[in-house]
Amino acid sequence: MSIIEIKKLNKFYDESTHALKDIDLDIKEGEFLILLGLSGSGKSTLLRCINRLIEPTSGEINFLGNDVVKANSLSLRSIRSDIAMIFQQFNLVKNITVLTNVLTGNLSKHSLFSRWTKEEKELARQNLKRVGLQDFAYRKVRNLSGGQQQRVAIARALMQNPKLILADEPVASLDPATADSVMNYLGTLNKEDGITVVCSLHFLSLARKYGTRVVALKDGKIKFSGSPNDIDEQKFKDIYGEDAEEVEIR
Amino acid sequence: MIKSQNTLMKQRLISNALDYGISLYLGSTIGYLINYIFALNISPFFIFIWSSVAFLLLLALPNTPGKGIYQDKDERVKLFSKLYHYIYSLAILLSLAVGWFMVEIEPFEFLTGMSGTRNILRGLFTPDKEIFWKMVSELIKTIYLALMATVFAVPIAFFLSFLAASNLMNRSLIGRVTYAIIRTISTVIRSIEAIVWAIIFAVWVGIGPFAGMLALMIHSIAALVKLYSEQIENIDHGPIEAITSTGASTLQIWKYAVIPQIINPFLAFTIYRWDINVRMATIVGFVGGGGIGLQLFQKQQMTDWNGVGTIVWLIALAVWLMDMVSAEIRKRLLNN
Repeated sequence: MSIIEIKKLNKFYDESTHALKDIDLDIKEGEFLILLGLSGSGKSTLLRCINRLIEPTSGEINFLGNDVVKANSLSLRSIRSDIAMIFQQFNLVKNITVLTNVLTGNLSKHSLFSRWTKEEKELARQNLKRVGLQDFAYRKVRNLSGGQQQRVAIARALMQNPKLILADEPVASLDPATADSVMNYLGTLNKEDGITVVCSLHFLSLARKYGTRVVALKDGKIKFSGSPNDIDEQKFKDIYGEDAEEVEIR
Repeated sequence: MIKSQNTLMKQRLISNALDYGISLYLGSTIGYLINYIFALNISPFFIFIWSSVAFLLLLALPNTPGKGIYQDKDERVKLFSKLYHYIYSLAILLSLAVGWFMVEIEPFEFLTGMSGTRNILRGLFTPDKEIFWKMVSELIKTIYLALMATVFAVPIAFFLSFLAASNLMNRSLIGRVTYAIIRTISTVIRSIEAIVWAIIFAVWVGIGPFAGMLALMIHSIAALVKLYSEQIENIDHGPIEAITSTGASTLQIWKYAVIPQIINPFLAFTIYRWDINVRMATIVGFVGGGGIGLQLFQKQQMTDWNGVGTIVWLIALAVWLMDMVSAEIRKRLLNN
């Protein structure tokens, strides 16, 4: 069953910047979909259109039977609460504690002045434990390393109990070893919890290791869609240009 | 590189405007010096004429300051290749000469006239011990005056600062207009000295600490709006994006993504402002703002230099303490 159906999606930033051109994409439940493509090819825009952090110009997006594009602000918030997002720059609130950052994943179930319940705090601690940061609950985020911060972001995503995780280059600011461990956590969520993951990446090796399908974007259009193992040298050059060489990271 | 006709026109206009501005400046400074040294009275009209002639001369020469800004080094004509260096040097020398005469600098007086201050200096170094405790209580009054001015200014400045943050307000026309109005008013209020506000409020509510407090408050609002709103403009947009994506409401986004980012800098600025207000409260007291400033003014009017001494040392001590404490608190706030 499809979790996301995108039809004829277009995004213009202004008259001359056509970021997404007639994108048609079907994402099945349980997929680990990798988005490949050069910087500026439209990966971030596509991801942000799915939860409408960026407003699409035209087209349809369907999330489990809900029309995302036409949703009013209340139903949009309820759609967003089922879709977690992870960012290249982690986007944590740096001068509050790790635990509070994780708890913010549950904001959609709260009013402005309600307090965190005991059960929620316990759940937040469990989620921190899943990413190996149980001892960091009361630390300030600013004192954590990049890899640790991204794991906090994953715990925050888990707190939403999401059906879908959008990851926008989650490992692009991490060293190779840390990158693989962060991808590993996302892979586990995909396999064990059955959460669908859509993740943009730059490394083909990570795409082959974790992806169940690869969709490559070029100049706002889908250039390739298929198994990561079907990307040979020629297809790679189609996506990244004639001069590109594959960089291996292990 | 090929430049379009339009940019070439614009460049020529700017470079000529610069050359003309420099000609006018050099012409006027030379005119001032001639008038001063030879006690002449050359009219501004003649100064304007010879400056314009100088400009026509510059038009004909290469490597003038104006032509220099759009020229690459290797495009420069060899002849007069350092012309604009000489022109800038001349401008600096003339400025210093004009400044010297205009400020009426008299080194001889400075070196020989000190004896007249003997009484004052002796008074300052032998403070009047009788009035010590009375002045301490006036000083405490001044510190509280500054505190109240700050406390009343904070909520108003907090509210206005969001309306004066360009990143929040430039999304609509009404927003941009509000932003421009608040920024302009706050700049105008800040450029009017607190002492002028104190005179206004002394007439309004009568001489006393309340007038001083109002003067400092209005000044603090304007200053804090600027500091606060710049802080809001500098916040990291990432957390806002992240909290939005969890399905949080707008007010929740403010509470969890915006406020945590600005709260410590806001507190730091507020304490800094209190510190400034204690110093300004003294001056404001001079014109009827009450507190230790008023006492200082009265003692100075009566040429009671021993009394002035007591007050000056007390103020110095208070400012020094406030300075140290506020610096330490600010350091801790901003590192957290």
